[in-house]
This record gives sequence, C-alpha cells and structure tokens, in this order.
Amino acid sequence: MRRDRRELLLRIMALDFTALELNLYLDTHPRDARALEDYNKVTQELFTLRQEYQERYGPLIHFGHGFSKYPWQWIEEPWPWEMTF
Amino acid sequence: MAELYRKMQLARAYVPFQQYTRRFEPFDGLMRGTIFPELFMPYRPKEMIGRSEG
Amino acid sequence: MWLYEKKLQYPVRVSGPNPWLAKNIITQYGGPDGELSASLRYLTQRYTMPIPEAKGTLTDIGTEELAHMEIVAALVYNLIKDAPLEQIKAHGMDGYYADHDRALYFVDATGNPWTATYIQSKGDPITDLYENMAAEEKARSTYEWLINLSDDPLVTEALRFLRMREIVHFQRFGETLRLVQEWADRKKIY
Ligand SMILES: [Fe+2]
Repeated sequence: MRRDRRELLLRIMALDFTALELNLYLDTHPRDARALEDYNKVTQELFTLRQEYQERYGPLIHFGHGFSKYPWQWIEEPWPWEMTF
Repeated sequence: MAELYRKMQLARAYVPFQQYTRRFEPFDGLMRGTIFPELFMPYRPKEMIGRSEG
Repeated sequence: MWLYEKKLQYPVRVSGPNPWLAKNIITQYGGPDGELSASLRYLTQRYTMPIPEAKGTLTDIGTEELAHMEIVAALVYNLIKDAPLEQIKAHGMDGYYADHDRALYFVDATGNPWTATYIQSKGDPITDLYENMAAEEKARSTYEWLINLSDDPLVTEALRFLRMREIVHFQRFGETLRLVQEWADRKKIY
C-alpha cells in the first residue's frame, strides 16, 4: 500500500478509535455533556476524513455508505487482513 | 466516600464510575489501547511478585 | 443489522512466519476466553437487558469484540500464510495443518473446537454482567500469558492493545452493573 494511503487510513483508524471509546463511555454516562460534545466533534472530523479516503480509494463501508467508481471498487484488494503497516 | 460506603450493600460488587476529564491524542490512544489516561494500565510482567517465572 | 468497515481496528504487523506463535494465539480466536466467545456472549445477552444503558453497552462491546476477532485472525493468518511445511512440522502445528491447512478455524491452543458451552445467557441481567466482568478478566489474563510467550515484538504490540481493551470493557460492565443494580432496587421499592 502506498504511503499516503496508509497515512490517511491510520488517521481514520485513530479517530475511529477515539469515537469508539467515547461511545462506550457515553453508553454508561449518557448525560456527560462534555464527552458528548467531544464525540460529535470527532464524528464530524471522521466524516470529512472518510469522505476524502473514499473519493480516492473507494468505499470504506459497504451497503450504501460510500460511492464507487467504475468498476465496482468495494472488492478491490487489499482486504484488511492483507494490509501490511 | 463515607456516604458511598453507607449506601453499599453486602454481597455485591461495586466498580466506581469513571469521570471523563481528558484524553490522549487519537493516534497515541490507539497505540495505548485506550484514550483515557486514568484507565491506561499497561502490563509489566517483571513487576509481578511471587510468580515462579520471576 | 451490522456494517463492515474495510479496515482493522488496530494496525497489525508480524515479523515473519511463526506457526508456533500462531498455534498459541489462535486460542483468542476460538478458545474459551477468546474473542468469538466474548462477542457472541454479549450479543446474545443484550436482548434481555432491562435498561437502555445496558442494551447499548452490550451491543457496542459485542460489536467491538468482532473487530478483535478480526485482529486475532489477521495475526494468525499472517503468521502462517508463508510458513513452509517443514517449519509447520517443527513448530508442532502439523496436527492443525492436517485438518485445516493454513486456513482459519475456531480452536483453542490445544486444538479443541469452539463450543457454545463457553458462554452463558442466564436471563438475570445482574448474573450476566458478573459473567461478563469475569470474562473480561479471563481474556486479560490470557493476553498476559500470550505476551509472556510471544517471541515477536510486533505481535506483542497487538496483544498489548487487545489486553488494554479488556480493562476498559471491565470498567464499562462494572458501570453497567451499578446502573442495573440501581434499576433493580427502584423496582423493589415501587
Ligand atoms: Fe473484551
């Protein structure tokens, strides 16, 4: 995998993980306004980064969550277990 | 804390609630396995006392 | 329903073929305290959780465990995919090879297949949450023994990540337990 693609993917992975952690925290602290504000901020950032990635390399999420160029990009390799970081 | 103890009942386990204050930067958090400094408890095998392998 | 995101939760790396390490790590794929057990346990218990916080926590942690299953699979896959047959024999993975070649299958470190008896779904949410807290501790211990065994520092990094996740999950189940206890107490009063 090319370096710029790997770097963009790593940034998404890192932000994704922050969103997941805040999500689990909010599940048991639904009224923590600061955590919620942080969650929404990270989600917004993630949305922008995902769009940038998908425009360049095809869908990151299937079933109508990302556009594809011709031919169908979803099945393009590498799959996650084939990536070397 | 004393108030908390009064409310506690026998034959029950209690985990204190985490209070979110700050977090690690996204990539740092991913590398550590948590974004929460108060939950970051890395494994240090050599510090384990009383184990046969030292 | 579920969606698949075409990336790993953690960037997995291995130093090279190592069937011996794969044979041990596979227990977190299909062993008693592994990620399949964790995921299926939470995802099946969630239907009888009484409060929204508990339904959310079990759904989300159950989903994260699927991502952990994928991390363990990626480790095992990359540790055996280029391993020569001689190495597979020398590393004691020949028995596994006889049944599965270099494919992924749900077994523990000594070859026992996954079974639903590894998990429980009791109908009592407090009992189930205690089980889950114990399960997180068992998984944490397993990762510690695997870290002690590991001779590949890149694999150890991923094992450390997975171990840390068990501590966070324990905390969340502990908080969920408190909320369910409060819910049960309120029910008794009114
Ligand atoms: Fe877990």
